[in-house]
Amino acid sequence: MVNVSPARLFIYTLLLFFALIYLVPLYVMVVTSLKDIEEIRTGNLLALPDHVTLFAWAKAWGSACTGSECAGLAPFFWNSVKVVVPAVLISTIIGALNGYALAKWRFRGSELMFGALLFGCFIPFQVILLPMARLLAELGLANTVPGLVLVHVIYGVAFTTLFFRNFYVGVPTELVRAAQLDGAGFFAIFRHIFLPVSLPIFMVTLIWQFTQIWNDFLFGVVYSGPGTQPITVALNNLVNTSVGGKEYNVDMAAALIAAAPTLVIYVVAGKYFVRGLTAGAVKG
Amino acid sequence: MGSLSINNVTKSFGSTQVLKGINIDIADGEFLILVGPSGCGKSTLMNMIAGLESVTSGELLMAGKDVTHQSPKDRDIAMVFQSYALYPTMNVARNISFGLEMRKVPKPERDRVVSEVATLLQIDHLLDRKPSELSGGQRQRVAMGRALARSPEVFLFDEPLSNLDAKLRVEMRTEIKKLHKRLGTTIVYVTHDQIEAMTLADRIAVMKDGVLQQLGTPAEIYDDPANQFVAGFMGSPAMNFIDCPVVDGQVQVDIGSQRHQFELPCSDAIRAGGYHRVVMGLRPEMITQPKPESAEHGVAAVMDFEVTEPMGADTLGIGQWSGQDIQARLSPEAGLQAGANTPIQIDLSKAVAFDPASGARIR
Repeated sequence: MVNVSPARLFIYTLLLFFALIYLVPLYVMVVTSLKDIEEIRTGNLLALPDHVTLFAWAKAWGSACTGSECAGLAPFFWNSVKVVVPAVLISTIIGALNGYALAKWRFRGSELMFGALLFGCFIPFQVILLPMARLLAELGLANTVPGLVLVHVIYGVAFTTLFFRNFYVGVPTELVRAAQLDGAGFFAIFRHIFLPVSLPIFMVTLIWQFTQIWNDFLFGVVYSGPGTQPITVALNNLVNTSVGGKEYNVDMAAALIAAAPTLVIYVVAGKYFVRGLTAGAVKG
Repeated sequence: MGSLSINNVTKSFGSTQVLKGINIDIADGEFLILVGPSGCGKSTLMNMIAGLESVTSGELLMAGKDVTHQSPKDRDIAMVFQSYALYPTMNVARNISFGLEMRKVPKPERDRVVSEVATLLQIDHLLDRKPSELSGGQRQRVAMGRALARSPEVFLFDEPLSNLDAKLRVEMRTEIKKLHKRLGTTIVYVTHDQIEAMTLADRIAVMKDGVLQQLGTPAEIYDDPANQFVAGFMGSPAMNFIDCPVVDGQVQVDIGSQRHQFELPCSDAIRAGGYHRVVMGLRPEMITQPKPESAEHGVAAVMDFEVTEPMGADTLGIGQWSGQDIQARLSPEAGLQAGANTPIQIDLSKAVAFDPASGARIR
């Protein structure tokens, strides 16, 4: 047994306590989603299920009603995927190129450009709702998947550019100069010098963008049509639609389904996230 | 070929002019060193030769061809950077061949060049390593290999040895000199280390505040400096400067308890200029213990030494003339006995004098 000082014991107890506070809601969600509605009505909120059933999960995925339709979350899940994947990839690639250019290629107005992009990070969603709706209508993209992708790309580029720019500032400028003398141009330098060192910051940006766009509700509810609603909007509709009594187990299962992709991403790529966030801070 | 002309080149950042009309002609195969204190503009000038900084006015000619506005990749130039700037994700072989790869040289040819360069620099056993797995000296060699691979007309070296420890620096200095002998390529080399400048250069360009102070062979720079700045910058230990009054063209100096009056090689010019005070410049090795074999060239005096600093081959003795600190270069034996009332010999044949106001050489 390792010797544990009282101070250490106190810290661990405190940490454990706060961890529990954070984890209890998740625990309640999981156990509730595994109970049948009878047990929820009569039993204890914190009790483990008497007999585990996946009925609520199946219903939330395949047959729960979201408004007038009763096809569960499945179609909306795929809607979200169709928006999130291209939006994340496009905004990350643009951000990488922007960040590279702003970090290493000074041009007239580059500082102003960067300032404007920074400013873009602080514009609240609500401010752009109406103008963006006008723009999407003009472009004929209202209520479409490409329209939603466009909105998320525009909004995300400010953040992704900032991430990449701050990361690439730490790459020595002499490398760029050496490559220039070696005959490499703008894109060749990016491909051969910058891309190979970029894994951590790509991970950070991918996780960040994925979480932001997957969890987005406001743009989803405003700019989507009946066939293109993302899962967050569907979850809201599902919870607000009641046929007969409130089905807490189905609500919980639906919420977990909606949250699952971001959880998985964090578990799989979380270590890169922390590494990438600190990588820019220390010069190699 | 590899000749290079810098014609009246200036550089401004906003309203500050960092280079004020530089003129240097570099012959094919010459080893030119740009030297000066930090911020004198020597690195800026080098980056302009490389094409990494734009030229504000003036022109750059390579082999008689105007390259002033050419992009770096179109100039036949390779550069070794102070930080080496090796590509961190590529191994040594690819670092060396990257320039050829970008110029679309076929793979077999690239491999041949890499092995040739690696053999020349004795790094053939390191070709598969990443830069992070190399020592400082090895990185230095790889950086030189990368420059050599393209066999350019002009090499630029930007303080290449300043990150190495003292011993390695001396070794690499010799290697660079050998390499230049073997290849005969034009080299422009930036340093703030005046010993590097003296040992390596065919010619030295001394710069200060964006102005070329003097351009000449190491011997010219050392023995015949154009002004007080060059005289003080080149040479270690530095030249002694004594601000002293002039009597009838001769300088008047108090050494020990005696007042001396020295006729300098430039006394006629001092007379002609009507100076009342001048700054006399005298290198430490011109002030020694009495040397019977060369007594007729020197002036005898008696000096009080306050401190001695043994350096091995000789000993620096520090005392005062006319209330100003002076360094003398004594033999180790004489250094042991140096103290109050020590006899010395002063060789005035290479003494110089400067205008006390402008620092310009009086000649």
